[in-house]
Amino acid sequence: MKYTLLAVSSITYAMKAKKLLNGMGIFCEVSKTPKNLASGCGYSVRIRDNPDYVAGILEKNGIAVKDRGTVEM
Amino acid sequence: MKMVYFDNAATTYPKPPSVVKATAEAPVKYGGNPGRSGHAYSYNSAAMVYDARCTAAGMFKSSPENTVFTGNCTHSLNLAIKGIVRPHDRLVISSMEHNSVARPAYALSKGGVTVDVAVVGKTDEETLKNFHRLITPGVRCVVCTAANNVTGRIMPIREIADMCRCMGVCFIVDGAQACGIIPLSLDDGMNFICTAGHKGLYGVTGTGLLISDGKYVPETIIEGGTGATSAELEQTGFMPERLESGTLNTVGIASLKAGIDYVNSYGMDDIFYHEQSLCEILLDGLKGIDNVTVYRNGNHFVPIVSFNIEGISSSAVSGALSERGFALRGGLHCAPLAHKTLGTLPEGTVRFSPSVFNSETDVKKLLTEVKKISKDGL
Repeated sequence: MKYTLLAVSSITYAMKAKKLLNGMGIFCEVSKTPKNLASGCGYSVRIRDNPDYVAGILEKNGIAVKDRGTVEM
Repeated sequence: MKMVYFDNAATTYPKPPSVVKATAEAPVKYGGNPGRSGHAYSYNSAAMVYDARCTAAGMFKSSPENTVFTGNCTHSLNLAIKGIVRPHDRLVISSMEHNSVARPAYALSKGGVTVDVAVVGKTDEETLKNFHRLITPGVRCVVCTAANNVTGRIMPIREIADMCRCMGVCFIVDGAQACGIIPLSLDDGMNFICTAGHKGLYGVTGTGLLISDGKYVPETIIEGGTGATSAELEQTGFMPERLESGTLNTVGIASLKAGIDYVNSYGMDDIFYHEQSLCEILLDGLKGIDNVTVYRNGNHFVPIVSFNIEGISSSAVSGALSERGFALRGGLHCAPLAHKTLGTLPEGTVRFSPSVFNSETDVKKLLTEVKKISKDGL
């Protein structure tokens, strides 16, 4: 299955995003950001659908989305 | 001999059963390094740490990203004070500060910072006048304890916060003796709350918190691995990772979360009422002993009582009480500045500080022994 990864600043922001999205009934898992997506030891949230909508929710709640990518699992 | 522990201002003991359980289970449940790897062990630890962050943030009305885990209150104060104050800045501290504030201030003074001490007077009005006189243009930062660790005196931090806000000055509060006892939060107007996790919050030793309102981002005094922005040599710029270099104390953090949950469940008002009632019993009893002096320089106190028996040093009294089964702390309590203000240098005082686990009977038994020492000597 194909997922979208939304790279965020840190594990703290990834956990914050997960809590926020899960609370809204949106599937989301925390995942290590692959090296091709962002430099360093970043973390992402892995989502199934509507990346623009979800990224908008995160930005509105003070969680900056640094990069985006896709992953097959 | 079974000891009765009245040294909770140093660290609370015993810890609640839920804290003991969480601490014992943490090395098994949270074995991975939080925020470092992409495996389930690491995620599981990170989830617990985030949960604890949210719990602490909830208590202090902060956000999880502005809630930093530290090793103790001294660590938090050093991160905040040295992270904010620059060479040639002016810093104002109160005359009732612990060495956790006085020593960083002194160290900064050797690097060109001007340090002014606002004398804490008999009344809050007098104290506020002294702060007002010193908080002038050019002051970068004010540091004040929320409650003094020798007498328990509660400081007028809301009013000091108002002064700081009007003057655009950063206000750092030492909450070591207040947190978990009185409802201190960012709503009181400070920019930073520094506190221990192992005192009124009932976590284990080696835990502390630095709570920020996010207005100031401190410079770092410790740099290193944060699990974020790792390709860059520049220290991570965002909180809380900026101030959390190195592996976190996951076991301590698990204990701290259980401790805060305990305080929330018991109720801070009930904790204060219980401990203050024990202080009142002690104070009433001490009044009846001729050669005992009690030190109360103010109107409002957290549950701490300092006293001396005439002619016997505080260390000798606390030593004698220890031999009789009571753990109290004598001496200067790492707060010579406060003792200078109280006029209790160089001997200091005997400090009584109860917790929720003490009883009226414990205090009455202590009073009996204090009476014996005051009458018969050591």
